[in-house]
Amino acid sequence: MVRYTESEIIVANAAREIEDNDIVVIGQGIPMAAGVLAKATHAPNCIILTEAGLVGIDPFRNPLHIADPTCSQGYDYSCDMIDVFATITHRGLVDVTFLGVGEIDRFGNMNSTVFGDYDDFRMRMMGAGGAPEFFGYARKAVLTMRGGRFVTKLDYCSSPGYLEGYGAREKAGFPPGSGPKVVYGTKGVFRFEEESCEIYLDGLFPGNAVEEVLAEVPWDLKVAPDLRKLPAPTQEEVDLIREFAPEISAGRKLQLELSIPRILQIIAGRSEG
Amino acid sequence: MLEKYMNEDKRMTAKEAIERFVSDGDSLVIGNCLYATPYALLHEVIRQGKKGLTVFQQGGIDELDQLLLGKCVSRLVLAYNFRVAGERIETTLERALRSGEVEIEDYSNYTLLTMLQAGAMGYPFLPVMNGIRDTDLFRVERIFKGQKFGEVECPFTGEKVVVVRGRNPDVAVVHVQRADRFGNAQLWGALINTKWACLASKRVIVSCEQLVDEDTIRRTPDLTVVPGFRVCAVVEEPWGAHPAEILGFYDYDMIFRTLFFMQTMTEEGGSAWMDEWVHGVEDRQAYLQHYADRFGMKYLSDLKARPYTSIPADYGATGRRAWDENDVSFNFQMTRGEFLEALEEKGGLTDG
Repeated sequence: MVRYTESEIIVANAAREIEDNDIVVIGQGIPMAAGVLAKATHAPNCIILTEAGLVGIDPFRNPLHIADPTCSQGYDYSCDMIDVFATITHRGLVDVTFLGVGEIDRFGNMNSTVFGDYDDFRMRMMGAGGAPEFFGYARKAVLTMRGGRFVTKLDYCSSPGYLEGYGAREKAGFPPGSGPKVVYGTKGVFRFEEESCEIYLDGLFPGNAVEEVLAEVPWDLKVAPDLRKLPAPTQEEVDLIREFAPEISAGRKLQLELSIPRILQIIAGRSEG
Repeated sequence: MLEKYMNEDKRMTAKEAIERFVSDGDSLVIGNCLYATPYALLHEVIRQGKKGLTVFQQGGIDELDQLLLGKCVSRLVLAYNFRVAGERIETTLERALRSGEVEIEDYSNYTLLTMLQAGAMGYPFLPVMNGIRDTDLFRVERIFKGQKFGEVECPFTGEKVVVVRGRNPDVAVVHVQRADRFGNAQLWGALINTKWACLASKRVIVSCEQLVDEDTIRRTPDLTVVPGFRVCAVVEEPWGAHPAEILGFYDYDMIFRTLFFMQTMTEEGGSAWMDEWVHGVEDRQAYLQHYADRFGMKYLSDLKARPYTSIPADYGATGRRAWDENDVSFNFQMTRGEFLEALEEKGGLTDG
């Protein structure tokens, strides 16, 4: 029997969104762990890049951010952010992009800028960053949502999903077939209906019930008739994730708890001479 | 007209560079994003109490928070700023915006950097991808009212194209691995926004881990990201990007950054951090000394990079000159004397 954490099953499932020979744009955290896992298992020929201009990376440990030294020892092509967008992303060469979600609506439009009124906000998130263009021009966007929420109307639209629904995205000039394809939440996985472009619950992670998910969505969320129970990671996958990114395995809360002694040691100062 | 900074020795201290080349009310772009952040230069900006800056920030971790805590910023053009805290904790950026001291304009990474790319090239505008039209980044304007995005008709297809305006910040501050005294600045690793941020700006202040001789630069010219003639000041500043990282020198300092975020959860904590690490030290050397006193040198030296050197690119060629060691031309197969005779006879020489 494989024993795994909440994050590990998400990473293992998200990794399966990457196929061999895909060009993949990735940010730090769960997406990076998923990318590295995919490359180490079923997609050895995928090319991972970050918008910092690092193309063909092979990080040796979980990076803090997309430009850090774990990503930049041994890579194929050193370019800059303009190159990554204009000559790779906008040309339709990105197969998969992973993005984090603050707020998402029924048609996969996404907010990562601000909660509440723009000027009289409740909270400022990290900002749009690379999301609008990756979301717009990658063949497939895979979203991860931890602490995010479903809303009927976004407070601010940072990145375009299927806009007002079926056909709107193509009409607006986005590449045919592009757009958000899947959302990895903490309880389950959501996909988009082809005919309506509306999001639906496609599968649950073990230990979660449909009702719990429905309670988090402020509309009558569609549920797949053959709701899947998402597969547990294999022992190989669990081992690979723990080898590369033990922090991700632990999850945010435990990670913080485990790093406190080290932090206290440093603050105490001069303890190591 | 763009000012040229020709071959003069531009070495100076961070204090002198910021005094001479950054003024209140300037627009300033941070020329490294996430990686190799020019903290030593930015701390000097804060120490000198520069006010009313318009800051172009591609993507930051904690440097923008520090400029905000220093009350240097009045306008912020932003694509991304890291956040660790959950909703209940007010961040430094949120405090600055709520107080009304700072106005903000949100862009995506690409649209922000394209403004600088257009500026660097001297173009009035450059196209961006039309998809931005379907976001609130396009619709919501604050600082650049009526000037945030534009639309033009493509003269070839008649299609509407979204454009951004070219922008030229007054000054770029940037940190690199090495530079020579003229300012030829070499950066490797994640190049992100550096080239466009620097080339768009009227003045470029470079700090470097290592000052090198001209021969080092001339043997590795493909690493030069900003040519010396665009650089007005060169500051040799080892550990000048700490707590960020720079390849070949040191890794990022996670614990130090965690301390910053923990302390800046309150306004008082933020002020105390600034008093201790910016206002309370005279320069980067004093900062490092204070670090050693607080935490011990061991922790800092643990961050030092281990070598992973590139294989030198051979720039060799035949090295053949017009005249070989026997004064014979390879192309003409004649001696210099014979060539001069041919010139006399057939070269159409003019007496002057």
